Amino acid sequence: MSRLLNPDSPYGPRSDADFLAEMNALTRAHIEGCPEYASIWPGFDRAENLTELPWLHVGLFKHIEFKTSGEGIRHERTLKSSATTSGVSSLVTLDRASSELQSASTLAIFRNFVGDSIRPLLVLDSSRSLLTRGEVSARIAAALSLRPLASEIHFLLDDAEDPGSMKWDSLAEQLRNHDDLLVYGFTWILWLAWGNANLPDEIRELLAGKRIHFVHSGGWKKLEDIQVDRRRFDDSLLSGLHPDARVIDFYGLVEQVGIIYPLCEAGFRHAPAWADLLVRDPWTLDSLVGEPGQLQLMNTLAMGAPYHNVLTEDVGRIVPGDCPCGRAGKRFELLGRIPKAEVRGCANV
Amino acid sequence: MSDHLSYFESSAGTVAVSLPFDYHRAVEDWVALRKTMIRQVPDEFTRDEWAYLVTFLEPGNLLRPFLNSFGVSVTEPSGPFRLLYRPRGPIAIWLPNNVSLLGPLTLVLLSLTGQPMRLKLGSSTEDLAGAFLRYAVSNLSPGDLQEYLATQVQAETFARADPRQQELAGSAKVRIVFGTDAAAEAIHRLPHPLDSIGFSFVDRASEAWLEPGALNVEVLTTLIKVFVIYGQAGCTSPKRVILLNGSRGEATDLRDRLLELWPTVVGAEPAMHTASGNLMAEQWSRALGWDPQPATRNAAVLASGSRELPGFESPMALRIQSATPEQALADLPANIQTIGYALEKPEDPAWLKLLAGSQVLRFVPLGQMHYFGSHWDGQEFWRQCFEGMEIR
Repeated sequence: MSRLLNPDSPYGPRSDADFLAEMNALTRAHIEGCPEYASIWPGFDRAENLTELPWLHVGLFKHIEFKTSGEGIRHERTLKSSATTSGVSSLVTLDRASSELQSASTLAIFRNFVGDSIRPLLVLDSSRSLLTRGEVSARIAAALSLRPLASEIHFLLDDAEDPGSMKWDSLAEQLRNHDDLLVYGFTWILWLAWGNANLPDEIRELLAGKRIHFVHSGGWKKLEDIQVDRRRFDDSLLSGLHPDARVIDFYGLVEQVGIIYPLCEAGFRHAPAWADLLVRDPWTLDSLVGEPGQLQLMNTLAMGAPYHNVLTEDVGRIVPGDCPCGRAGKRFELLGRIPKAEVRGCANV
Repeated sequence: MSDHLSYFESSAGTVAVSLPFDYHRAVEDWVALRKTMIRQVPDEFTRDEWAYLVTFLEPGNLLRPFLNSFGVSVTEPSGPFRLLYRPRGPIAIWLPNNVSLLGPLTLVLLSLTGQPMRLKLGSSTEDLAGAFLRYAVSNLSPGDLQEYLATQVQAETFARADPRQQELAGSAKVRIVFGTDAAAEAIHRLPHPLDSIGFSFVDRASEAWLEPGALNVEVLTTLIKVFVIYGQAGCTSPKRVILLNGSRGEATDLRDRLLELWPTVVGAEPAMHTASGNLMAEQWSRALGWDPQPATRNAAVLASGSRELPGFESPMALRIQSATPEQALADLPANIQTIGYALEKPEDPAWLKLLAGSQVLRFVPLGQMHYFGSHWDGQEFWRQCFEGMEIR
């Protein structure tokens, strides 16, 4: 699995019947190999359509470390979310075969947006973030998914949590030696470390005319809090650069590793051929089209644990019709996180 | 305000209490405020919260601290005085972010001591204590109580490191801290007067104990009501329901009866994040071996299961288990506060014998689980706002 993963045509036409058949087979494999999953969905045999497929709520990955056993499945590392909202990380168990597919998937999607050229990758993180054995953070995983497009990798922060620890000398050296660069960072870090930073004069001069693709992920919540919108964000990063420089905002979840949803030129996000999505009414679980609801994301790549079909806590809206960008995959708008109200009660929460 | 002596008869003899105002008038003013309150719910409060506050301002409820602390009120003293109670002095109250109704309720009760009061509010909260103070000052009839609230009660918001934190602890004769264990410890460690007194209302959990023979529609309706107001976030809300001497099948039947009643008791649509959280809780509990079912429109998850099953936490998830009274006692959490009961014979001394060696602080009918009073978490905090002078 997955026969649907075509690296050269991530958004090409696909057979929905083939997708459903792969999802049915994958779901059965997880039910056979993962007791916790089987106890949540007892008696499943096959679904007639996507809405009938078993799913897991994204919050479960904070409480249960799912693992599916099966022939040829070798669990290797655990992917850990950043825990910015709840303080508790999601844990996703990765296996070798799925990781290979997931890397191929991410690369195919990135190439569709940033092209094939190989250039230095500058990561707004610290190299020390690589050192935790057996575990990998979502941020590092996202950065390293760009590795196949990188001629070399440089980490630009001295302290991963401090956007003020930018190593300007390292950046200056790369800018002196290269006209094309790929930069990855979490959205808020990219803004604080670069977009809104007081750039040294030398850096400002070196940036002029450079073709840089800024790739970022991680959501806008922290920037909304300080009233930074997408336009200001993009304009600030692209100021003075080559006209082909671009900012690419992608949406992805640790619990859907390998599938990323970059914003297309028309302002939508598309599912690749080996993925799909539903929007659910949280009160009835009805499947919605054209109306906002909870996003449910699915893909055919996850074999080591049942994170192939996840009900997220993100709000989205499926937009019917063809997209002007030309990509055929189902398109949607990401509208943000489910609004959280303050928990009222006693002093114990 | 002028000093006022009030008289009470108790088993100790005649007691005098010195207050800066006539407390009967203060109670009347609070009671009169209800007429205004029932007209409109302020934006800061939910309907349930406001209704609770209106009920709380009943005269019997407001006079109870005097009765429980000093005895029966009399207009003329009948015998020799044995005690004179006078207020200790300024009161400081720390209310963290998610303490909701307990803030205004404490404010109301302590207003009857007439002492200067400062409320330190959470810095990122929908603040109900400050909101209620403003409401009361604006809507009370002019008089001693209104003037007292306007001039002697302050609601403040500042960070933990603010110098006012030290100043607050250093100036109060009574410190009342709602919060985590660590927060309470930190506040009581601040320099404070040697003759001051401190109370901590910290992390607590509560349960509902029901006997199959005591179950009827009224009891089940009450159980839904006491749970739904704050779910698992309320220290007096049941975190789990124990069906005493019932079977696992009966626990499941109880779950189904509650689910059937749910839409007749709870009309409000759950928030989106609540509905989503309940979808998660349903799957989590099922993975652990529970038998969960969602309430109408995913407003809650009720899960039945045996007592050996591991627990799960979610704001609107309620576990229902069967156990003998002895098993229920053994399974109590260390921070147990309230057991709300529906028993066939609650007056049976066997219940007291069972609970005598426990840490339980309140054993009350199911419908009274959320009743706040002058005795809280096992502490006579209202009475302790006064010091007694012995008279021979």
